[in-house]
Amino acid sequence: MSSALNEAQVRPPTTLGALFLVFLKVSMYGFGGPIVWVRRIIIEERHWLSDREFADLLSFCQFMPGPNVVSITVCIGAKFRGPAGALAALAGFILVPWTVGFSLGVLFLSYAHTPLLQGILRGVAAAAAGLLIATGIRLLLPHRHRPIALAFAMLAFAGLAGARLPLLIVVLALVPLSIALARPDQVPAR
Amino acid sequence: MNPSGASVSLIGHVALLAIISFGGVPGVLPDLRDFVVSANGWLTDREFANCFAIVQAIPGPNMILMMSLIGWKVGGLPVAIASALVTFGPPCALSYTAFHFWDRFRDAAWQQRVRRGLAPVTIGLVIAGGAVMARTGDSGWPSLAITTAAIGLMLMTRINPLWLVAAGGALGGLGVL
Repeated sequence: MSSALNEAQVRPPTTLGALFLVFLKVSMYGFGGPIVWVRRIIIEERHWLSDREFADLLSFCQFMPGPNVVSITVCIGAKFRGPAGALAALAGFILVPWTVGFSLGVLFLSYAHTPLLQGILRGVAAAAAGLLIATGIRLLLPHRHRPIALAFAMLAFAGLAGARLPLLIVVLALVPLSIALARPDQVPAR
Repeated sequence: MNPSGASVSLIGHVALLAIISFGGVPGVLPDLRDFVVSANGWLTDREFANCFAIVQAIPGPNMILMMSLIGWKVGGLPVAIASALVTFGPPCALSYTAFHFWDRFRDAAWQQRVRRGLAPVTIGLVIAGGAVMARTGDSGWPSLAITTAAIGLMLMTRINPLWLVAAGGALGGLGVL
């Protein structure tokens, strides 16, 4: 298993072009939800952020409205290069991938009823779900020595996937409690 | 309702859903389905499910593409583009503004505490998203086996995840599922 990246190995990006291209890549690879690819490309390949910084950013972005990954894109761009960085990252993420994805989507839509395409769509969806679950497990690893954190992750999972409660209910019920029970970092948990 | 009325009404609804979708767009899908399928009959249930499956199977910004495909069905290309813009535009502006505030106080004790509290809930939601997605297909144990194999390979090897997606698609195409 690849080890979690720690702060000492982080090398932030320097150019707007790099931001544009990396988010273009994240978006074009985006099977299973782009979070899988943001983690893989930005942390494992590029070392722009540590796993911890990414988890922090992700939790901020989860509570912003709209597609989470778009908010991650804007925040990472803004973090490194301000407004221009946010725009460069967003343009990379949306322009080309939307055009390609939309054309493919319209094409697929007209063949969606065929058994072959139905089969492929099912297989892709099943694998993509696995990627998303594995990404979540990786993000959970830095918290494995904090029983309270594991308990809240389990409760969030059970509320949404088990009990099928509305997202808003799960969030409103768990977040205040989880924050109330969290202690500020004394020693960074690794 | 005339066609252009439908378009305006869809764009307005998507814009509203996007700006209240705290926690991400997948959480508003049930509401969207009620609006476009049950309330207005612009798409059949099957078409809505197909839109969802297709955006999982193509690269790109999935949820923006999903809104665009629904827009396409309702009013063609202009509505598809407008649906995409209202899905990410206003939330982006909000994130950008809020991020400045958040980043400025990143060393404050209150924020460390908020972060430590938010992170595990967030991660639980990500895993739950995967689990819900794994069950939407509802096609029995072969699908589950693919999902499980993908989790195992992703955690234990450094294989490029694209291969896992391609293998899943190939098995599905061969009629295994």
